Amino acid sequence: MSLNAQQWLQQIRQLPLPEKVRIMNVCGGHERSITQAGLRSALPDNIELIPGPGCPVCVCPEEDVYEAIQIALNEEVILVAFGDMLRVPVNVRKSEVRSLEQAKARGADIRPVASPTDVVRIARDNPDKDVVFFAAGFETTTAPVAAMLAEGVPDNLLLLLSGRLTWPAVAMLLASDEPGFDCLVAPGHVATVMGAKEWHFVVEQHQLPAAVAGFNNESLLAAFYSSLRQLLEDKPFLDNCYPELVTEEGNAQAKKHLYEVMQVTDANWRGIGTIPASGFGLTRKYTAHDARLKYPGYQDEARKRAGEMPPGCDCARVVLGKIYPTECKLYGAACTPRNPIGPCMVSDEGACRIWWSNVRKPAA
Amino acid sequence: MCLGIPMQIVEINGYTARCEAKGVERDISLFMLQDDAVEPGDYVMVHVGYAIQKISEQDARSSWELFDEILAAESALSNA
Ligand code: SF4
Repeated sequence: MSLNAQQWLQQIRQLPLPEKVRIMNVCGGHERSITQAGLRSALPDNIELIPGPGCPVCVCPEEDVYEAIQIALNEEVILVAFGDMLRVPVNVRKSEVRSLEQAKARGADIRPVASPTDVVRIARDNPDKDVVFFAAGFETTTAPVAAMLAEGVPDNLLLLLSGRLTWPAVAMLLASDEPGFDCLVAPGHVATVMGAKEWHFVVEQHQLPAAVAGFNNESLLAAFYSSLRQLLEDKPFLDNCYPELVTEEGNAQAKKHLYEVMQVTDANWRGIGTIPASGFGLTRKYTAHDARLKYPGYQDEARKRAGEMPPGCDCARVVLGKIYPTECKLYGAACTPRNPIGPCMVSDEGACRIWWSNVRKPAA
Repeated sequence: MCLGIPMQIVEINGYTARCEAKGVERDISLFMLQDDAVEPGDYVMVHVGYAIQKISEQDARSSWELFDEILAAESALSNA
């Protein structure tokens, strides 16, 4: 028998909780569900729900966005990207082009897409031009991008890949002196694709309670309850609170394509730095589709931008769950969705944006 | 980007499926489900235009409800 949200809340309220427990999620979808349903205020005060590294747009490094802008401005190409990416600002002088949206206003052919299948269609419809697909995303997006290539694409479709794995950022936090959380809620759709097994390390290497959750209140509350019980009984294990979709191994087909088309590389995360084995590059078989090899001229300039952040933007600490969005001085003042300073206020999966669209209140 | 949408398959043509959710139709790639037996009437969880997993009708319906709530809450706020 599965419980409804009210019953789960009651179960949680009955637990002999310690003074403070911090549960981190690492998925923009989770954060949206939590914030929108008001779960923070429904739960006992001693439970803190912390949004962690769950927004792929927010961790896409400045140099990649800069490179995309430069290619779009200077080459005869059509640049396509998921809609969120277009408004992400880079920290260049006001007189320079700061986002793909501004590059588009200056005449660059830049088009938002919702799916890799759109990209294939655009490439087929424009055989005389290169179509550069700036693809930032976690596994749930990167696996479809790989599937697109595995299925076969026109020669003029090139990838500017900025894919990231989710778990290495959690591993990095857990290996640090101050991880900042006591329990982990693992992302349901990442686990659907990659398998729940990616998350065993949380329990096995760090003895931290963990549960994979889906996106409705019941699944999230079940995951909170499970991880709290694990903590109280000091018996951590990886619970699967999203068995409708998640299996131990995930989607074998999707993973096969992913590793045929891409290989895991070290990768830079915006404001955070390099995380070993956390990104993707194309395998040898697909190098003809690598935009970085075809248009290498911007890399040196781009690389100089590594680590750049707009002054005052606290996105990196927001992404790592070190502070809440409302603790950034710019939140709601200089930085709003209409006039975003950092990507966390641009993306639908960014914690700042999610908080602003649901709560709005500046720091309490 | 990361919020999946469940859709119901209307028609299959190779690796492409015509799918429907709440009155909206889209072409969805079944390339990541090519080992699974999927047929019209089945429900799939869709991410960026690709079906990532089959799901039951009941689970599809409960995710649609969640979607409605999120959309309603957001439009209420943006109209406020
Ligand atoms: S409020 Fe704006 S500037 Fe501050 S962390 Fe969020 S996105 Fe960055």
